Amino acid sequence: MGAPEGLGIEARGVSRRFGPVQALRGLDLTVPYGQVTALVGPNGAGKTTLLLILATLLRPGEGRVRVAGHDVRADPGAARRALGWMPDTFGVYDQLTVQEYLEFFADAYGLAKEARARRIRALLTLVHLDEQPGQPVHALSRGQKQRLGVARALVHRPRVLLLDEPASGLDPRSRVELRDLLRSLAADGVAVLVSSHILSELEEIADRVVLVDHGRTVGEHAMADLAEAAVARVRWRIRSLDRERLAEALTMAIDDLPGLDPGLGPVRELPGGAEVGPLTETEAAGLLAALVTRGVPVTGLAPAGSALESAYLAMTETRR
Amino acid sequence: MTARGAALVARQEIRTRLRTGRWRVLLAVWFAVVNGLALLFRLALEADSTSRYGSPGVPMFGGVLLAVLVLTLLITPALSAQSINGDRERGTLATLQVTPLAPGDIAFGKLAASWGTGLVVLLLTVPSLLWPVAEGAIGPMRAVAVLLVTALLIGVVCAVSQGWSALLARSITSVLLSYLTVFALIVGTPLLFTIAVPITSEQGVDGYDNDRTDRIWWLLAPNPVVILADAAPSLPKRRIIIDEGAGSGGHRVDYYEAPPNDPLGSISRGVRRLRLDDGHYRPSYAERSDGPPVWPFGLAFDLVLGAGAVWVSASRLRTPLYRVPKGVRIA
Ligand SMILES: Nc1ncnc2c1ncn2[C@@H]1O[C@H](COP(=O)(O)OP(=O)(O)OP(=O)(O)O)[C@@H](O)[C@H]1O
Ligand SMILES: [Mg+2]
Repeated sequence: MGAPEGLGIEARGVSRRFGPVQALRGLDLTVPYGQVTALVGPNGAGKTTLLLILATLLRPGEGRVRVAGHDVRADPGAARRALGWMPDTFGVYDQLTVQEYLEFFADAYGLAKEARARRIRALLTLVHLDEQPGQPVHALSRGQKQRLGVARALVHRPRVLLLDEPASGLDPRSRVELRDLLRSLAADGVAVLVSSHILSELEEIADRVVLVDHGRTVGEHAMADLAEAAVARVRWRIRSLDRERLAEALTMAIDDLPGLDPGLGPVRELPGGAEVGPLTETEAAGLLAALVTRGVPVTGLAPAGSALESAYLAMTETRR
Repeated sequence: MTARGAALVARQEIRTRLRTGRWRVLLAVWFAVVNGLALLFRLALEADSTSRYGSPGVPMFGGVLLAVLVLTLLITPALSAQSINGDRERGTLATLQVTPLAPGDIAFGKLAASWGTGLVVLLLTVPSLLWPVAEGAIGPMRAVAVLLVTALLIGVVCAVSQGWSALLARSITSVLLSYLTVFALIVGTPLLFTIAVPITSEQGVDGYDNDRTDRIWWLLAPNPVVILADAAPSLPKRRIIIDEGAGSGGHRVDYYEAPPNDPLGSISRGVRRLRLDDGHYRPSYAERSDGPPVWPFGLAFDLVLGAGAVWVSASRLRTPLYRVPKGVRIA
């Protein structure tokens, strides 16, 4: 299955208020088919509100929103058939087994009987719940419930997938599996929008990132561009066997480094090392050479945090 | 909206709400209590019915039926007064709303589930209602008619309770208001009527107050007890002939009398007579005639109320939502 024409999600100037709270103020967003787009922003930025609007549950105040080419206000039914949505918190029915839970949603989407059985078996395998189809849903662990939620969102093979913090509560293996699942869905041409606070993980999942703050889009980048831009200047972590020698050398190294205009930036002491920067890769290499010549026993030099994290922190810096 | 969608929601609702063993125990207790009380009532009637004519089946039927009506209507809000806001609180409503199921599917499905449960509750009381029918004291048509009306009234209360649960964010509030609605229908209407009687009464030519109940009888019409009693087909009247003294000073009375200890019949005659403006003139017992029926108005009013409540719950389930109830997060 290749990527269909057009955009999975197209939102222009979306605003929404809850009484006195202006949750969204003219937010723009595009999510192409065949890619994973990450939605990143601080608490209360309006991510969940936006996803509710995209899921046709909440009406936007202003703005135009199209999901899989259908206007969510004019034709929510068509948009609903094309989208799968997983909320950040959701309940499951008491007294239902995993199998029955998925069967109910398959029926709600009007899947044929024999297609339904096959689909559910495939989904249970996909989210690794195939060992407990008979287990009551309310007895599942948080991570298992989360995986069941993913299976529910996928039951009707949506072309657009909306996930609100799907990774919370998942163990490391399940996260890797979720990442692989999202990547393979994107490879099949699904437009995936995922909100998350776990930046290091998004970096591996997402092709694009949309940064939102105070209900506005503050940046929309391809992950590759972001990585390149961030390589220009990030903070670096230096590990050394001798912290005192390192600290001492760092105070002097600045003078030796030509073209290090803003200096080393704030030097932060860490257990077993220090953090400096932001520096470019060239500057970092120069710094390492200077430290080694001074006889500092350096065991490691690596960028601190990720490109996405730097972009995120730069965006939220204005808040303080 | 499709029948398939509504059936799907109804099945799901019954499965998730009623699968617990607790319900079976509750229904068993209900069955034992209602039928046990009916049996005791019957025994009491047997012991008492020495002088009155007629079978004790008639008062038994009426008494049990009215008790069953009031009790089931008191149970009914528990079945549906949390069906929508309770789902929202549990976080299962939004996942249902993003499926292609229409708001009407959800509203009617939930109503069908709670009404169906209410009907099961009613069905469990049938043995003690069928006893007088089996004896021949009550015609089968009368039994069918009253069961049908009771079933409809249970449906109305289910619908109104569900309407409250769609309108209000908190399930405690909607349960409270559902009980208040039932209370208003059963107790509030006679209360209002009693208050309205002196207000609407006129000064008659003879200086006495003349109650104009023919202007306010409709206040009693929505009362489920009145509807049920009045809708029950009346029992055949008995001809009474009293012939005192065969001679010239003889006094002869000839009239038809309704069975005296039929609770449904006496309520029905009472409310029908309210519709007549018989002024200050008090006719003798033999001359009294019944007024026109009250129940069609009451039942129509209650059905409209129920239909309105279903409409409210369906429209409250419609998404995308613009007005979000205060203090509610959709998901
Ligand atoms: N139903 C509601 N009623 C009132 N205010 C609301 C409602 N829903 C959201 N808000 C407000 O809108 C703003 C955006 O909330 P939203 O849940 O979209 O944030 P978020 O980006 O998802 O945050 P988080 O990262 O914590 O999940 C917040 O200020 C929140 O208080
Ligand atoms: Mg959120």
